[in-house]
Amino acid sequence: MRNKLRLCSVIAMLAIMTFAFAGGAAEKQETKLRFIDVSPSPTRQEYFTNTFEKFKQETGISVVYESVPWDDAANKLTVLGASNQLPDVMTTWAGWLGQFTEAGWVVPLSDYIGSTKDEYASTVTELVWKAEQELYGNIYTIPDGMMVKGVFVRKDWAKEVGLDLDMKKGWTYAEYFDAVYKLTDPSKNRYGTSFRGSRGAFDPLFVYLESLNGGSAYAADGSSLMKNQEAVDAYKKWMGLYLDGCAPKDAINWGFVEMVDNFCGGLTGTLINDSEVTATALANMKDEQWMVMPMPRSDKDGKIYNTVNSPYAYSISSSSKNKDAAWKLIEFLTRPDNNIEYCKLTGLIPIKTAVGDDPFYGPNGPYAAFVQQLNDPAMVVPVAFGPFNYTDMHQGMMHEEMQKYLLGRQDAQTSLFNVVNELEKRMKAYLAENPGSAVEQPKGLL
Amino acid sequence: MGILALYIIGVAAACALGMMFIRRHTKGRPTTYSNLSARRKAEPYLFLLPTMLLLLLMFGYPLINSFIMAFQNYKLTAPSKIRFNGLENFQKLFSETDIWLIIKNSFIYVVVSVSGQFLLGMTLAMALNKQFPFRGLYQALVFLPWSFSAFVIGLMHRWSFNGEYGVVNDLLMKLHLIGSKIAWLGTPGFSLAVVIMAMIWMGIPFFAIMILAALQSIPADVYEASYIDGCGPIRRFTKITLPYIKPTVIITILLRTIWIFNSFDLIVVITNGGPANYSQTLPSYMYTKAFASYDFGLASALGVLLMTVLILYVTLFLKATNYNKAGNFS
Amino acid sequence: MKPYTLQRHLGNFGRTVILLVFLLLVILPIYWMFITSFKTNAEIINAQQITYFPREITTENYVQLFKLYDYKGMLTNSLVVSVSTGLCITLLSILGGYGLARYTFKGKDAMLLFFLVTQMIPGILVIIPLYVIFAKLGMINTRLSLFFFYLITNLPFCVITMRSFFERIPYTLEEAAYVDGCSKLTTLVRIVLPVMFPGIVAVFVFAFIGAWNELIAGTIFINTADLWTIPVGLKSLIGKYDVKWGVLMAGGVCALLPTAIMFAFMQKFVVEGLTAGAVKE
Repeated sequence: MRNKLRLCSVIAMLAIMTFAFAGGAAEKQETKLRFIDVSPSPTRQEYFTNTFEKFKQETGISVVYESVPWDDAANKLTVLGASNQLPDVMTTWAGWLGQFTEAGWVVPLSDYIGSTKDEYASTVTELVWKAEQELYGNIYTIPDGMMVKGVFVRKDWAKEVGLDLDMKKGWTYAEYFDAVYKLTDPSKNRYGTSFRGSRGAFDPLFVYLESLNGGSAYAADGSSLMKNQEAVDAYKKWMGLYLDGCAPKDAINWGFVEMVDNFCGGLTGTLINDSEVTATALANMKDEQWMVMPMPRSDKDGKIYNTVNSPYAYSISSSSKNKDAAWKLIEFLTRPDNNIEYCKLTGLIPIKTAVGDDPFYGPNGPYAAFVQQLNDPAMVVPVAFGPFNYTDMHQGMMHEEMQKYLLGRQDAQTSLFNVVNELEKRMKAYLAENPGSAVEQPKGLL
Repeated sequence: MGILALYIIGVAAACALGMMFIRRHTKGRPTTYSNLSARRKAEPYLFLLPTMLLLLLMFGYPLINSFIMAFQNYKLTAPSKIRFNGLENFQKLFSETDIWLIIKNSFIYVVVSVSGQFLLGMTLAMALNKQFPFRGLYQALVFLPWSFSAFVIGLMHRWSFNGEYGVVNDLLMKLHLIGSKIAWLGTPGFSLAVVIMAMIWMGIPFFAIMILAALQSIPADVYEASYIDGCGPIRRFTKITLPYIKPTVIITILLRTIWIFNSFDLIVVITNGGPANYSQTLPSYMYTKAFASYDFGLASALGVLLMTVLILYVTLFLKATNYNKAGNFS
Repeated sequence: MKPYTLQRHLGNFGRTVILLVFLLLVILPIYWMFITSFKTNAEIINAQQITYFPREITTENYVQLFKLYDYKGMLTNSLVVSVSTGLCITLLSILGGYGLARYTFKGKDAMLLFFLVTQMIPGILVIIPLYVIFAKLGMINTRLSLFFFYLITNLPFCVITMRSFFERIPYTLEEAAYVDGCSKLTTLVRIVLPVMFPGIVAVFVFAFIGAWNELIAGTIFINTADLWTIPVGLKSLIGKYDVKWGVLMAGGVCALLPTAIMFAFMQKFVVEGLTAGAVKE
């Protein structure tokens, strides 16, 4: 029958087609660990595959290196989490922890850490872990390396306009604003700052506002400390950088890429960013062109308010079936010798005290400004947005309200209060739903 | 290998079922006209069986699931609190402050992109309809925009239209068309225009190919007859060309509208909906909000809304263009 | 005859202008991509001066693309998935399109509406349930999962398109064959398909490109970098802080070549189809 013939040929075709893929199928899982890297690059891939080889030789456990481009990483982890297919060890960005802990996708690590706590640098124990315990009730990540913000400055431009910038002395916010205005020179097509207007724009502004409140954002009952005239004035001052032309008009929609590209490309004079960017700067600019200044000190109390976090901290997922083996892997990766090799490759600061005095991180190296801040007793880590899930705000209203003000659609007070009101609402709701929890406090290294 | 076996068994089972179905209707009966028609009746179903099976299997569950989730308080972060909440998700949707701006953007985005692609694609197809030297090479080049991944096109546009180091501003200034740099991606209105330009650039080849294929199947003697009758070019276009390609045009516009309406990758890459939601459309809004807030109830509600709008559009469009009557020449 | 030839000349002139304009529209961005791929990174991000021809031609981007980023692997994956998707879809849509074009049957309109509805569902709402199903079947991180996904997402459109191509072929062609004693299958293969060939090639190309360009499913269903398709691999060049523009452009240019070749071939077959199977009433 012709129908039979036809159908058989269809089956045959499809079968042949599908057999063609047998070669790409994943092998059956034995005691293999899955590790996912959320910011892959050839360097990282090479480093991890080599390290996993070493790990296998030592322990006999093999590890599969999975990766997803950074831009899609959050979405991929969401899909994996929703289907309970998360890899054993995940590299996580601190901003996701609120969601992950709420959804129960990460495993507390305090028991695993146990007494080895003392091996970790004080930046880890006093800053990162204390914050996690306050926010989420437990420790969930082992940092891969520390990074801290700094202000990248065009040394050559500063000299031209007569600015005297000394890394060891630092500067206040007033001096910082002044420098930005001085560095702006439209005739030379120079702008003072790589102003961030798109996603993440609110982060440095929030830190600036917190510097007026000793690093806090909320009172003990959850109400916001930023609903006053002082905050509105500071808000206007910050936004003035854009409105007064210290940044190109385009910057209202700039993300990380544009900020860094424009600084390295010679358009802007300053750039507030994490130490990770040092690698890019080293690759694209000559030494005499740039330097790093520490974050500005608060005009109010003279302290440096700076966020400290690890970009791709290791965590164990709740879907993991080999949690003990996963912990072994994390231990291996954070062994001092492995860790410092990793940090040098990726532009981070090592997490274990056993690192000693490696000249790479010494006072004359490219990371001097960052290390200096970490060792500075006057540095305080301000509080995060909160223990609740704020990703939707981070992807939307936080920078959208700023943009509305910059476009002249709203006045400063409305723009600021819209955001802090929402934060306040969520904070109060969190405190109400979790009796016994308290508002996070700023942390210092003392 | 297990899944392979499963899949082959599945397809084989489906086909076996199909064959049994025919067998039952024709077994043991002499080949009379009525039997022939029974077999004939089954044929279309057979032709479409593999397709329908695949689509039902793969789309059925997500469709139903999404529809249910739209009316639930479905947050990934609170799996224990899943419950029905009626129209709450839809209310939340419409209480977003910028929702009407987003809807307006969606509308502008779709209408301008589709019209632009259609008109330019049609022009290109008509220009290509005649032989000329190096036509093959030309065609290989001019259809290339369709073969780019959306994010590559998006990235190129984001870079080229950058107010400071973008090549567009540089060119425009060098040609003395503008006096000072335009902040393309930072100005409301302009940012949406850039996205629309990218979408049109990407979609012209699609229309051009479809219309060209349709144009090239118009019988040559019909045109010859019109020449002999002394038809002017415009008359020829409206009375002969258009009716012949009408079915293709309708289908192409329909599908392309659906795709563009649902697309968000260009927007997310080029402007991320900014500034201040001035280039945000419903799908890009859904993409960022769904994943960011882990609120799949809300995302599904938006999805259901989008589908409803599209279904309405399809039915109205098909009715208005008399699709079922068009293209009957045999 | 004079006004006629004038009209002809004007028409030709107009046509040439149009063709040139479109060529420019397409060529300029591609030219930009091309030369960027030969620039050094410092020259690319130099904000003070934009160069229209590389000051210093370098092949380091291409070297990096192939050595560091394993472009060959990405290319293989993309080709395997796209070709098989294209073939399978073409086959299924020939069957489906023919069924829809030549028959009226109960449920036909519902079927059509269903096809259209599948195109309306936002992608993310489909990907997550599918991920769960694929995971249960152990298909995650295989090219098979991509094949399936591209198959179902491109199938409705291709079936509908094929149907519209079939509809343009008058039934008289087949009737003549039946009268001569051909069976349905033979008619389909020997008579209808050759006339349909331009349409079939067009559908194959669309299906191929639909699979070639897809990004989201590629990131979600594939875990390890050795199975990345080209779009996913290129996306990994976008880091948190910097974009490797040069390598990205090089990757984009390389990804064009297979499709450009396909378009050239498609054109050849379409023309052949036109001259060989012209339908004379």
